[in-house]
Amino acid sequence: MGRLSLLEIGELSAGYGDITVLRGISMEVGEGETVGLFGPNGHGKTTLLRRISGLLVPGSGTVRFGDADISTAAPSRVVMAGLAHAPQGNTLFGEMRVDETLEMAAFTARARRRKAEGLAFVLDLFPRLRERARQRACTLSGGERQMLSVGVALMCAPKLLMLDEPTLGLSPRLKRDLGAGIAQISASGIALLIVEQDVEFLLGAAQRLYLMESGTIKQEIARRDAPDHAEIMRIYFGKDEA
Amino acid sequence: MTDALVTTVLSGLVLGSLYALMASGLALVWTTLGIFNFAHGALIMLGAHLAWTVSDVGGYGVLPGLAVGVAGTALAGVAIERLLVRPFYGNRNLLLITVMTTLAGMIVIEKGVQIMWGARLKQLPRLVEGDLAVMGTVISRHEALIILLAPTLLLLLWRFALITRIGRSLRAVGQNQESAALVGINVPATFSLAFAISAALAGLAGCLLGSIRFVTPSLGAEPLLKAMIVVIFGGLGSLGATVGAAYAIGFVEAFLILGVGLYWSPSILFLLLIAVLVFRPNGLFGKS
Repeated sequence: MGRLSLLEIGELSAGYGDITVLRGISMEVGEGETVGLFGPNGHGKTTLLRRISGLLVPGSGTVRFGDADISTAAPSRVVMAGLAHAPQGNTLFGEMRVDETLEMAAFTARARRRKAEGLAFVLDLFPRLRERARQRACTLSGGERQMLSVGVALMCAPKLLMLDEPTLGLSPRLKRDLGAGIAQISASGIALLIVEQDVEFLLGAAQRLYLMESGTIKQEIARRDAPDHAEIMRIYFGKDEA
Repeated sequence: MTDALVTTVLSGLVLGSLYALMASGLALVWTTLGIFNFAHGALIMLGAHLAWTVSDVGGYGVLPGLAVGVAGTALAGVAIERLLVRPFYGNRNLLLITVMTTLAGMIVIEKGVQIMWGARLKQLPRLVEGDLAVMGTVISRHEALIILLAPTLLLLLWRFALITRIGRSLRAVGQNQESAALVGINVPATFSLAFAISAALAGLAGCLLGSIRFVTPSLGAEPLLKAMIVVIFGGLGSLGATVGAAYAIGFVEAFLILGVGLYWSPSILFLLLIAVLVFRPNGLFGKS
């Protein structure tokens, strides 16, 4: 790759209670790089993001972020280090107004220093949020909520932004808008780790892909070796499409 | 007759103000953590005892007593969160478990106070002495102060929750703990803060109550019941709804005492509350 790695994950294992979900995951994301993570449902993609951001109790393995070891860090410390996570299908803070939510999201000292530029960036990225500024989050449409969710993560002033299924339930048009937004985020120098089912969407956004299966990284794929439709079907359904 | 009316309105205002102070702390813990603190009444009682020790036994006067009462109760609130609630975060039965642990906390505080202070009747000095003539009737300056102090403080608390960074983080944690953690809010510390503010309000209510009623280890029992009724009646929701419900109940109670007397008014108050909850199951101001 030739560039510095920002996030380095080594032999990460974790799960819920007695159930092991992640089995020795190793992967990395470079500075400013956009990396995609895909694979069938229920194979640990969301769990991996939750483990990285500290929402899930640590199992074993290491997570390095820049110079910091965040293997066992609490979520607040992970955010402070500059790693933000926009979780899946998020309802955020239903009773809070959009403008309040965005302002509040610049919570850490690091994020507060960049509050003004962050807010300008988010509102420029999603002008829709400016129109909805004084509405409560629970009155937003699914697409608007997704924008707010990404906006909140951006307000944390991240060096790396993790998005969990950002296109879930979005119309093709909104998907296209979000794709353009992600390109803009990437152009501003923020690295991205995107979990997606929609491989075509990922191929448009990411430089590299990881395929995850049964809690392990099955394959690392450079964009130029992108899988074609038949291959994706085989990955998801385990056999050739008729 | 007009004298009786003015007296009753003033009495409703005093009751409503006290109920608002007592219930808003309970509501704050409910909206932030989703639990009921059954030791809330015991904290009210503890605040009155601490204030009595400093002002009466120590002879330091009423204001230092108030300060120690409020600060000491806030610390006790943090201790309750740390010892009785924090071990059970993430447990799906948190609500039921903390009913038991905070009830246990209530008993420990009540018995502890009984051992340390004894059951002898005590009374706190009034914050301000003297009486005030209002529209042909007389009210103590202490009660007038309660009428002014409670809404002012609750208005400040409301502004704090609405516009300050820490206030917003309190609301954020109450609405979505995971999302709050993901923007960098320390969720357990925020729970401690909610308990500290809630307990400080309880302590203040205890100090104000302690010069109207006798200070005994059972001083908190009735306020706890009233605060619970107010919070449920308000719809288990925002500070505004709880304060509104507190004044509604204060006025109804004052007029019931005027109309049917002290003996029957608690029963009739409960009947009225049940009737309201039949037609508005989510409380007076609650949303469905």
